[in-house]
Amino acid sequence: MNKNNDIKIPDIIPELERGPLWLKEKRYASREAYNRTPLPSRSLHLWRYTDPNKFTIDREKAVDMAFNEGYDAVEKMELNHLKEGNLAALATDLGGKTINFYGIEKLTAQGIVISTLSEAVEKHHDLVERYLYRLVNSHTGKFEALNGALWNDGIFMYIPKNVTIENPIHLLRESGLANSVQFPRLLIVVGENAELTVIDEYGGGSQNENKEPSYTNGAVELFGLENSRTRYIMLQRQQPSATFYLNHRALVEKNADMLTITLAFGGALSKHNFGVILNAPGANSNMYGLLFGSDRQHFDNHTLHRHLSGQTTSNINFKVALSDKAVSAYTGLIRIDHKAKNCEAYQENRNLLLNKGTKAETIPELEILNEDVMCSHGATVGPVDLSQVFYLCSRGISHTEAVKMIVNGFVNNTIQKVPKDLQERIQTYVTERLEHI
Amino acid sequence: MSDKKPLFVFKDVHVEVEGKEVVKGVSLTINKGEIHAVMGPNGSGKSSLSNALMGHPDYTITKGEVSLNGKNVKEMSADERSRAGMFLAFQYPTAIPGVSVANFLRTALKAHRGKDADMSDFRKLLKAEMKNLSIDPSFATRYLNDGFSGGEKKRVEILQMSILNPKIALLDETDSGLDIDALKTVSEGINRFHNEENGILLVTHYQRLLNYVKPDFVHVLMDGRFVKSGGPELALKLEESGYDWVENEIRQKAKV
Ligand SMILES: Nc1ncnc2c1ncn2[C@@H]1O[C@H](COP(=O)(O)OP(=O)(O)OP(=O)(O)O)[C@@H](O)[C@H]1O
Ligand SMILES: [Mg+2]
Repeated sequence: MNKNNDIKIPDIIPELERGPLWLKEKRYASREAYNRTPLPSRSLHLWRYTDPNKFTIDREKAVDMAFNEGYDAVEKMELNHLKEGNLAALATDLGGKTINFYGIEKLTAQGIVISTLSEAVEKHHDLVERYLYRLVNSHTGKFEALNGALWNDGIFMYIPKNVTIENPIHLLRESGLANSVQFPRLLIVVGENAELTVIDEYGGGSQNENKEPSYTNGAVELFGLENSRTRYIMLQRQQPSATFYLNHRALVEKNADMLTITLAFGGALSKHNFGVILNAPGANSNMYGLLFGSDRQHFDNHTLHRHLSGQTTSNINFKVALSDKAVSAYTGLIRIDHKAKNCEAYQENRNLLLNKGTKAETIPELEILNEDVMCSHGATVGPVDLSQVFYLCSRGISHTEAVKMIVNGFVNNTIQKVPKDLQERIQTYVTERLEHI
Repeated sequence: MSDKKPLFVFKDVHVEVEGKEVVKGVSLTINKGEIHAVMGPNGSGKSSLSNALMGHPDYTITKGEVSLNGKNVKEMSADERSRAGMFLAFQYPTAIPGVSVANFLRTALKAHRGKDADMSDFRKLLKAEMKNLSIDPSFATRYLNDGFSGGEKKRVEILQMSILNPKIALLDETDSGLDIDALKTVSEGINRFHNEENGILLVTHYQRLLNYVKPDFVHVLMDGRFVKSGGPELALKLEESGYDWVENEIRQKAKV
């Protein structure tokens, strides 16, 4: 039964009043769009596999936030990574309510801006007004409009021209327990010839599956200006009954490089939408996805590579492993515009079904509007290759161990691309899931 | 000849793949220290027999007995057969992306010994065996058979055999795809492995391997049956006259 949860955002609520006038206008426009826009049609690819009703909220229900017990340990570990010099800085974001920064003094001295969005709106007014809502806004979709209206506070980063940050900046975004509602927001501008690695980690949420889930609806906007190099790593490891929605958009300018790695392990219901727009010649995007679902987790991932300019290149390699009764849908759109000649675009989606009862859908969508392109896509869905299993078994390795090795091999080259201090943790998540197969 | 000790024995083995019988009752006894060569035309069932003996689930032994050192292995899974001392060098080794040669071999060795090999001992062993087979040290960290050339795959099969040191090695066309130098290196590897206690079943199409690795017996497999057996001279005769000669001979016999 499809219940309709499409509850409107009321006229006057405090969230809408945050910020200067231009921002209030954006918030009200977003509210308008949300209220006006019907729930997305299930006939669209984007929503064929997931019920949009699951992502509406009853704002009245939002309660004061309490946080998961595990959070402190993660914060401590990342503070240690910072102390050991493996991170350039750490930011902690508790439900968009409390945001703290660690280790940013050195960065600030280099002219780097890293602060809350609310502070940036005051202090770096022009920058924020120029970029905020440019990629994810009330026109993007109903739930993007919801975030656009109700986000409380978020994180802003600006890396000035020619500045290179060697180590990653790690953002820890923690959602509250059952019934909590949060709208994390991130805006990053990587200046000309600048370089940044950012780890955007989403944790927390309700553990108890019998309670109302926690709800997270995030928006990420990234700008890679001319000649810049950006690495964005998203880790989603929310608790087993969390509901998670994220829209990510990156705009890549001339000769700039964008690496996106998405690592998804958590949540009961997760819908991720990652998009990179190649806006000028020489722009290049590499996207790697790694998703490991277990129990009854439901994942719905969409990727977009939009070639607006000629002489741009993109590559996607999205890997999915599923066990128990987990399901995953992947839709990957490559769009190459009419005028965008001499582009290269590749897409690969591989799905490993580790037992019966799991399900994976994969839909490549190619909209290629000119002939002068090199484009290919490939997708596979199926169990572990039995000839691989036999090969390992014929060397004395047990069947279970063989399957584990093959799955570890499957995820290995994606894990290798993750910054060193996160690799171990990702490997642990994989190992934990492999223990149950 | 009196001190022959049977090592690997199979009797009246029938193999079915995809519902089709491709091996139709073959028997062989390999005694300790012996090398047997199996030759036969394409599609005669050589790989099917090797796979079935190793316990490949797609190749069912519908009838017959298989034993190693007097122990029935027919009910064992492939990994149990390996740990019992069997080894198959594949005609077409499968690539396992993301699993390095070193990690794989260490795991295999652990499965055989029941405990982890000491890291530095293992490294030494691997390094030495790789050097013996002229395998570049960089292969230790490469993913198993992933992007390996035909010849590189075959060397790595023999590397695995050297390290796991089985009692009976089934080598399925280990010589195919090897250049002249590699053929020599791999043959030397096989000869180094061979001793009075183990046995080898060598599937090949060509005499050139048998110039280096000297078989005690040669068997001809045609249409799933051993139709002729003999000494090393049989391989030479086959090289000279082809399989038509064997077929003719069989036809002649049938007439008589
Ligand atoms: N997995 C399989 N599925 C279907 N048929 C198979 C399979 N494996 C082998 N066969 C068939 O069994 C027969 C014997 O094949 P096999 O590979 O054992 O021959 P072979 O003697 O090793 O040949 P070659 O010299 O070419 O390696 C062939 O007809 C082959 O098509
Ligand atoms: Mg064969």
